[in-house]
Amino acid sequence: MKFNSYYEPNTVDACVQILSEQGSDAKLLAGGTDLVIRMRSRVIKPKTVVSLNAVPELSEVTLKEDGLYIGAMARLMDVSKSELLTGAWKIIKTGAGNVSSMQIRNNATLGGNTCNASPSADTVPGLVVSGAIANIVGKNGNRSVLLEEFFTGPGKTVLSDDEILVSFKIPKYADKTGAVYKKYSIRGDTDIAIIGVAGKITLNDQGEVADVKIALGGVAPTVIRVPKAEALLTGKKLTAELIEEAAVIASESCTPITDARATKEYRTEMVRVWVRHVLTDAVQEAQKN
Amino acid sequence: MSECEKTNYIGKSVPRIDALEKATGKVKYFEDYQIQYRDLLHVKVLRSPHAHAKIVSVDVSAAEALPGVATVVKGSDPDLPWSDIPYGSSYYGNPAKDEVIWAGQAVVAVAAESIEIAEQALELVKVVYEELPYVTDQHIAIRPDAPEVISPELGFAAGYMGFQPEGPNVAGSYKMTHGDVDKAFAEADVIVEGEYQANKKSTSQIECNGCIAEYQPDGVVKLISNGMGVHGVLKKHLLTMYPQLTASTLRVIQPVTGGSFGNRLFPTIEPLAVLMTLRTKRPCSYVLTRKEMYTSSPSNWPVFTKLKLGAKKDGTIIAEDFYLVEDAGAQIRGYYDGRLSASGLMCVYNIPNVRCDSYGVRTNTMPCAPYRGLGVPESEWAMENLLDELAEKLNMDPLELRLKNIIKKGECNPYGEKVTSIAIGKCLEAVAEGIKINEPCQQDDGPWKYGKGIAAGGKQNTPLGRSEADCLIHSDGSVEILVSCDEQGMGAQSALRQMAATELQIDIDRVKMTRSDTAVTPYDNFGASSRTTYTTGNAVIIACQDAIDQLKEAAGREVGLAKKQITIKNGKAYVVGSDVEVIDIKDLFKPFDFFTQQTWGLLQGTPVRGRGVFCPAPAVPWFGPGHEDGRTPRMWNWYQYSAFGAEVAVNVETGQIKLLKLFSTADTGNPINPKLVEGQIDGGVIMALGFSTLDYHMFEDGKMINANMSDYRLPTVLETPLQKNFMRAILPDPLPDGPFNAKGCAESMMIPIGPAIAAAVYQAVGVRPKEMPMTAERILKLIKDKEANDAK
Repeated sequence: MKFNSYYEPNTVDACVQILSEQGSDAKLLAGGTDLVIRMRSRVIKPKTVVSLNAVPELSEVTLKEDGLYIGAMARLMDVSKSELLTGAWKIIKTGAGNVSSMQIRNNATLGGNTCNASPSADTVPGLVVSGAIANIVGKNGNRSVLLEEFFTGPGKTVLSDDEILVSFKIPKYADKTGAVYKKYSIRGDTDIAIIGVAGKITLNDQGEVADVKIALGGVAPTVIRVPKAEALLTGKKLTAELIEEAAVIASESCTPITDARATKEYRTEMVRVWVRHVLTDAVQEAQKN
Repeated sequence: MSECEKTNYIGKSVPRIDALEKATGKVKYFEDYQIQYRDLLHVKVLRSPHAHAKIVSVDVSAAEALPGVATVVKGSDPDLPWSDIPYGSSYYGNPAKDEVIWAGQAVVAVAAESIEIAEQALELVKVVYEELPYVTDQHIAIRPDAPEVISPELGFAAGYMGFQPEGPNVAGSYKMTHGDVDKAFAEADVIVEGEYQANKKSTSQIECNGCIAEYQPDGVVKLISNGMGVHGVLKKHLLTMYPQLTASTLRVIQPVTGGSFGNRLFPTIEPLAVLMTLRTKRPCSYVLTRKEMYTSSPSNWPVFTKLKLGAKKDGTIIAEDFYLVEDAGAQIRGYYDGRLSASGLMCVYNIPNVRCDSYGVRTNTMPCAPYRGLGVPESEWAMENLLDELAEKLNMDPLELRLKNIIKKGECNPYGEKVTSIAIGKCLEAVAEGIKINEPCQQDDGPWKYGKGIAAGGKQNTPLGRSEADCLIHSDGSVEILVSCDEQGMGAQSALRQMAATELQIDIDRVKMTRSDTAVTPYDNFGASSRTTYTTGNAVIIACQDAIDQLKEAAGREVGLAKKQITIKNGKAYVVGSDVEVIDIKDLFKPFDFFTQQTWGLLQGTPVRGRGVFCPAPAVPWFGPGHEDGRTPRMWNWYQYSAFGAEVAVNVETGQIKLLKLFSTADTGNPINPKLVEGQIDGGVIMALGFSTLDYHMFEDGKMINANMSDYRLPTVLETPLQKNFMRAILPDPLPDGPFNAKGCAESMMIPIGPAIAAAVYQAVGVRPKEMPMTAERILKLIKDKEANDAK
């Protein structure tokens, strides 16, 4: 693992400055749990490594009027234990806590897990159904992107070479909202997810679905939503049959691949199983909140 | 307690010699020796991306020109030893010359000042391949019209010893007939048959294969390696390969190692490191990456078994007929004819009419080597599963069916060998009792369904050559045992030390073990087929007896008694039959005297050296006149047995299996150190839980796609039952010719785990798995198929 220069700027601005000078030769170092492995195995060979670890404000988790702000450098372990993540936001804790082993979670960051843009990243489906917005800083100023529009393919995002994901904004959730993420893997959290399913349901006073979002991980080039199933459920009182119907729609609307973790047929079947479980649990959560 | 009882260490859980050092990180593995060398070169290897391809050209000029590169090896180099290996060298791991025959085979190797430079150099190598048809599926490979694993023009002939291959990839065949099989099937009341497959798997030891080869100024090459068999594998093979080395100029040392399980029985890295050190006269270190451990170091041999059993109404099995194929991968050397795997189908049950039709076949996958159990867990997967089915058909308890048919002590097995030690009956009864096989599991409405199952297993000990041992009695009365047995973590040297202390009737703290340095310790073959306890153990005892004999002689001379009047215990010589001490052993050794120059007698500082050589009783030849039916009164040495009981949960939505409770029993002969045996049982059970339910090689486009520990799913502590539900017992039948009546025990407990889990899965969800491992996907598919069938 060899590279020419290493920077550890103290401010986001300094970081953007370095990135705009170095262009595609530079890679950002957050927790390093993906970057270092890929550099060691010579999959990527950046000339410059820019660490974000010396910018303290990037790790902050702050509750504001308009929602919760989670710094991109917040460690997954801290996110998984954050007391600010309550109610329907707990789904973000779950996702962060599902990433690999404790040792990895101590290093890995929420922003890193996101920018790595793996379709099976455990943190992303929960963030997507929570309506998370990615706050980005770059040479040409700041911009915000809805997280589900942040990914353009496996390992690919909308970030340009001079841009940094600095934080996530998680909008407030309505009353009677329940959100659940379930990771399915063979050996628990240590394995990369075969699939991941997140569901968020808001009920109205009549107990009907006022709003529902379903996000699937590991079954398409990026984490995807299932608008058809969401449309089916909206405005209705959820029954086991309806949930099963939505689960079938979800399994039909994904495009998984076969890889070392599972075949596409198995992934499709697992989407059906776990969408059912997620929606069933999310409704229960919604009734409680 | 008498003196004799005090020094009887047999059956006692004496702490391992290396326990403290290992726990405190003080032991040295081979990589710890790297820092000794300031001028160490690092070896990295470019590997074939194709399952089968012709090597059209290899251009290494840019790599050679890179600063920091010391030497580059390619297959066509004149100093690569080809004479012994007509085609290439899948067996030895050196770069291929004409053709690559599996994805992961070495093509070019670089030794450089750093790993980084070596890797950079490999990226500068230009190889032009011409892809050829390949075959990774053993069922296709065995057909006469299958794509050829190796191009025939390379002059590599299939078959051996007159065997005429029936297809281009058939390596060998072993056939055996016992009794009249067709007649027996005609007389059978119930016949069951089935086809079973066990997949390709890797041993996955935690320490990756590695070695350091050092060229010393006097021309001696010193090799420090975590490979097996310093004498019997490494030295023997390397001397064959490099004529510039001689018996006295190659020294091999095995430091503490981090596992092998058979994977290190072939020297797949050392030849390259030695070649590079011969070229550069500099020390070279070659360590495989984890990925290379999967793609480029040996796997097991997968086994396909088609088995048919015939039984009378009362459960007496009277006929067995099987066709078995072991897949040797791209293993062009070695001995693959199905015989080893087939042995599992003829060692537990006494079936009077047996026909064995077995084959070894090659495929374009990484070459095989022994994997704990030598193909027997793979073949008994068929036997035990089919027995469960037979029991159901006979409406008989699976335990009763097994007990009725097991070989009894003193009876002959289908080979015609007399079985002298067998406790499988006890083992089976204990596991059935342990998991309460007759109490049905409680079921609930959730997706998890529960079931229980039992199975048995037996494993032959292959006669694998001699072991030697030296027993030094030092002039301070302490003892040193010199052996070259492998220590891959099983605790062999601790058990051997207990045997020596017991034989010499001496406090165990006064016995030191010195191990595995060809310049110091005597010959041993290698630690395979659970042979160390038996073979090396017997050699140690003989060496101790030889030393005792010499001490008796010396003591007798000193005090004027005949040898037979003297007994040695606790470091002293006594008159036989009395407690009268005649002399302390220490006093037999005289200080140096200027006038006598000590020309006779024992001298202080020079030990008495007892020698021990033990060869397993010679096997009757497997071939030739008199053995046309494949039978012989002695094919193997002895048999170890194990039974397993499992309680599992199966998820009907996902197909996942959870092992909730287990009971493993092992017939190890008289156990030398019960704690060590329990360690073997626990380790074996977890390893087998892995290959029974989780881990196997997956191929796509001829390449292994899960060559990492993330996707090659070994069981972790989370997949293992809690300690309170993880039960074990040693239920021995003493082996008459074993050292203190012990047998080896490393392999048998691997065998019954898969089938016991399969029986439990059947009880839980009503499907019978035929393929191992029983992954979640496979189980779910069986469940779905059953649902679809039931709906019809």
